[in-house]
Amino acid sequence: MQILTANELLSGASVYFGDDRHWHQDIQRARIFSETEASELDGLIAAAVATKRLISVAAEKVRIDKGRVVAQRLRERIRAEGPTSPRHAVQPLRESDHVSL
Amino acid sequence: MYRYDEFDLGFVSGRVDQFRDQVRRRIAGELTEEQFRPLRLMNGLYLQLHAYMLRVCVPYGTMNAPQLRKLAHIARKYDRGYGHFTTRQNIQFNWPRLQDVPDILEELSEVEMHAIQTSGNCIRNVTTDQFAGAAADEIIDPRPVAEIIRQWSSLHPEFTFLPRKFKIAITGAPEDRAAVRFHDIGLMAQEDEAGEVGWSVYVGGGMGRTPMIGQRIRNFVPHEDLLAYLESVLRVYNRYGRRDNKYKARIKILVHEEGLATIREQVDSEFEKVRGGILTLPEEELSRIRAYFAPPQFVLSDDRFNLADLKRNDAGFARFVEYNSHPHRQAGYTSLTISLKPIGGVPGDATAEQMEVVADLAERFSFNELRVSHEQNLVLPHVAIRDVRAVYDVLKEYALAEANVGLITDMITCPGLDYCALANARSIPIAQDLARRFGTPERQAEIGPLKINISGCINACGHHHVGHIGVLGVEKKGTELYQLTLGGDASESAAIGDILGPGIVAEAVPDAVERLVQTYLGLRETKDETFIAAVKRVGAVPFREAYLAT
Amino acid sequence: MRHSPITTKRTDPLRAMGIIALNGMFGEDDTDGVIRKAVEMFGRDLAVVSSFGADSVVLLHQVAAVDPGLPVFFLDTGKHFSETLQYVTDLKARLGLTDVRTLVPDSKDLERFDPEGRLWENDPDSCCHIRKTEPLNAALEGFSAWITGRKRFQTAERGILPHFELTGDERVKINPLAYWGEDDVAAHKKAHDLPEHPLFADGYTSIGCAPCTSAVQDGEDARAGRWRGLNKAECGIHFDFNGEIAPAEVKNGPVLFKKGRFVADPFKPLAENANLKGVRYVHVPLSKVKDNLAAIRQNPHPLGLLIESSDRVEDVAGELDRFSSVAISFPAFGDGRGYSTARLLRERYGYRGEIRAVGDVLTDQIGFMVRCGFDAFVVANDATKRALEAGELAEVSVYMQPVGLTEVPVGTRPFLRKPGKPVTRRP
Repeated sequence: MQILTANELLSGASVYFGDDRHWHQDIQRARIFSETEASELDGLIAAAVATKRLISVAAEKVRIDKGRVVAQRLRERIRAEGPTSPRHAVQPLRESDHVSL
Repeated sequence: MYRYDEFDLGFVSGRVDQFRDQVRRRIAGELTEEQFRPLRLMNGLYLQLHAYMLRVCVPYGTMNAPQLRKLAHIARKYDRGYGHFTTRQNIQFNWPRLQDVPDILEELSEVEMHAIQTSGNCIRNVTTDQFAGAAADEIIDPRPVAEIIRQWSSLHPEFTFLPRKFKIAITGAPEDRAAVRFHDIGLMAQEDEAGEVGWSVYVGGGMGRTPMIGQRIRNFVPHEDLLAYLESVLRVYNRYGRRDNKYKARIKILVHEEGLATIREQVDSEFEKVRGGILTLPEEELSRIRAYFAPPQFVLSDDRFNLADLKRNDAGFARFVEYNSHPHRQAGYTSLTISLKPIGGVPGDATAEQMEVVADLAERFSFNELRVSHEQNLVLPHVAIRDVRAVYDVLKEYALAEANVGLITDMITCPGLDYCALANARSIPIAQDLARRFGTPERQAEIGPLKINISGCINACGHHHVGHIGVLGVEKKGTELYQLTLGGDASESAAIGDILGPGIVAEAVPDAVERLVQTYLGLRETKDETFIAAVKRVGAVPFREAYLAT
Repeated sequence: MRHSPITTKRTDPLRAMGIIALNGMFGEDDTDGVIRKAVEMFGRDLAVVSSFGADSVVLLHQVAAVDPGLPVFFLDTGKHFSETLQYVTDLKARLGLTDVRTLVPDSKDLERFDPEGRLWENDPDSCCHIRKTEPLNAALEGFSAWITGRKRFQTAERGILPHFELTGDERVKINPLAYWGEDDVAAHKKAHDLPEHPLFADGYTSIGCAPCTSAVQDGEDARAGRWRGLNKAECGIHFDFNGEIAPAEVKNGPVLFKKGRFVADPFKPLAENANLKGVRYVHVPLSKVKDNLAAIRQNPHPLGLLIESSDRVEDVAGELDRFSSVAISFPAFGDGRGYSTARLLRERYGYRGEIRAVGDVLTDQIGFMVRCGFDAFVVANDATKRALEAGELAEVSVYMQPVGLTEVPVGTRPFLRKPGKPVTRRP
């Protein structure tokens, strides 16, 4: 299972591609791509780069743990949740920072 | 300290305008990220895990109060109210927004600061001894020469696309507090037979995945020839440094692969042709720059105050004086280090309020001068001994009076996986755990001087190779593991630490360090034999055994 | 440089209509009729321009037959074969021409743009412009029409040449020989026993200035010897008189940016098996130069040197004077070796020819490159191309260190710094 993630241009914030084709801050709203849907990822990554509003666009492996989306890599978990010690919230998106495909 | 003239202001504001236009073009979609990336990096703007990170240059770690106040203002207005001081004596902001960066740079230019060359394959911020111009043991104040190197290297047209980044450190004291032998070029003040002061040049030092100790390439270069000599080294490096593999692109690899003798021959041959030319530094110019760094108007020593007396009656204050003061060349004065390593805090971080408090103290008690140390602390370089108590009282109020400089909790720590896009493991929580384990004043005093350096990846921003105990975070199958090293030394007796054994999980790090400390306490000959001295005397074996015994 | 002297624009649509009618009035071979009509229409408002080249005698012979007193302009570019100059004197006498006027380039232009007389080596367009277009523009002021010797067969581009043309500035250009073929020329020469240009027998069928003319091989286009190796088929005088040589059209692929604008690049790629003794206007790789020193030394033509980023300029230090252009390759924008190479060329070896950057060049690097001694850029990067076209050069206008031989004279203060040179921008 994979999700599509990127950093938004203006804020630099981590964002996730959702079912509604909007990019969200909350990894829980990320669209889950099954193995059979993986072929769609390349096209979406290209479309995301083409917006010129998203940086470091990449697919990430995830698992579902008690109904929640959890990134496989620690790096991605920290990226989704913010610095751990002390805990800081992730970079908030402003009105201007919303991107959709 | 150096003050901008109209020329410098034009230089920096030109750069701000240029970057503002580049940001505009990027946001308008006229530049792709691929095109924009090198441009933003040239202005110190990285993309990290959660947001952009802006690295602001503090030239050779020297600042004044208005500059630190401006940094506080930027932290508050454009960021989250704090900044992170780095081992390159710079400061990083972790949460700026892209459109704000031109405004930040413009505000910085108002106090003669910028972010130029804090990234990219160019000559980075020149670093030096944080006690430069103040230390009792100093042969010469290295800052005028550091300033001249700063000017020479700023947007140097030939050396802006080097094989890899290039770091120069310079020290004017025999005790090396600037880790010059772990830089691409290290300069140490040296007196020749005639008593003339010049520079002894080391080349090819560095950390990262291939740590190496710099080797002396030339015994003595007089001031007037220094730029010509540096240009010769840089030209040889620019032309022959490896570009096929970024992990082998630093000058240390060139020196290692070609051999010091070959590199010396090439540099000398270039130097012979460049020497005596346009880069020859005239004595008048050196004097002109030196005038900016003239010592402040010290008042004569006041015998009623001395550090020994000050220590009486207040154990906390006594410890502060003991560990956080450094001998000054002027009788009646001392240099005070403000530790940014509170127990349980984030090493190197300071809040906007703390920055403002320190700026006020610098103005009131240190002739408006401040330093950033490569150990990620702040320094008030010129404090009259009679004022130390007043300074301490203010620091204490703002949680800045941690008396741990040089001790086990004064750790160099990179941001690690909590912030950094390159990291494999977290660093900050390890530092916090260690600080809590060893942080009582009694424990620290018992252990004495001991440097623990922590890096979250092989790039070694946390200088783990030169920690007396080094901690390197790695990632194995999705888990953070930490490798410990022993015996590293950044000082004039430079050494690279040895790996003690297999990596261990984060929770096991405090216990492992505990065993190393116990081993030291058990085998030291006297209380005056420091940890690193003991390691050098007995070797790694007993420590390795202790590390492996669980 | 002067602007076109033509300031009053004559806008008479009937003139244009008349031109079309005129072209229908004469048979393809009625050279005499065309010349007579021209004299009749324009009288003393008519002049002849002749290069006194291989075929010029045919036109001059016919003109002399109609009116030997017509002014004939000869452009003495200062770069002609001595044989040509002798030929001018000989033809004048033989044909009885009474008003041959020699035009020379403006000495101020030469001083300013071509002080060393070597402009042709890497900028033949500008060379033509100051040595041909400009003097002719000045001379033709006051003439409404001029007669040329151009022929359709000479190059593909001339396939549609008419007898009478209206030029962009509303002058009339008359081409009496438009329909003549090579055989017609030869036959006419023979029938009237006209003297040949002394170089014609040596294979020079189209003769211009000495440096830009080479012998034509059998079967080649007659004008192939002119500007051989350049993507340039017409010299400035046959451009419309707009006062400037129009910048070469920016097509796809790399183009040469020089002196603030894109210009036609006289250099072309080196063919793999080219004979190094005879090639011209190519950049020969440094390694080939090293291995073929004898051939390079024998080659009499303009040549360039290509330095790859891993090459050592020291290896050919003794040969540098021989090259009119040095191309320094940038395989990636981050590969900065070329900056050192350029400085060594300028500062250590005193090289004064063109130094061009070739490859992955970003706008933000051009300022650095200029300071290191580059003066031309072959730009492959589209964004850079666009920025240059828009006149946007990212440059910081003050420098913190001396570089080069001239930026800061030794001993001046402040030691390390100086204001920037004026930013290179399009006028």
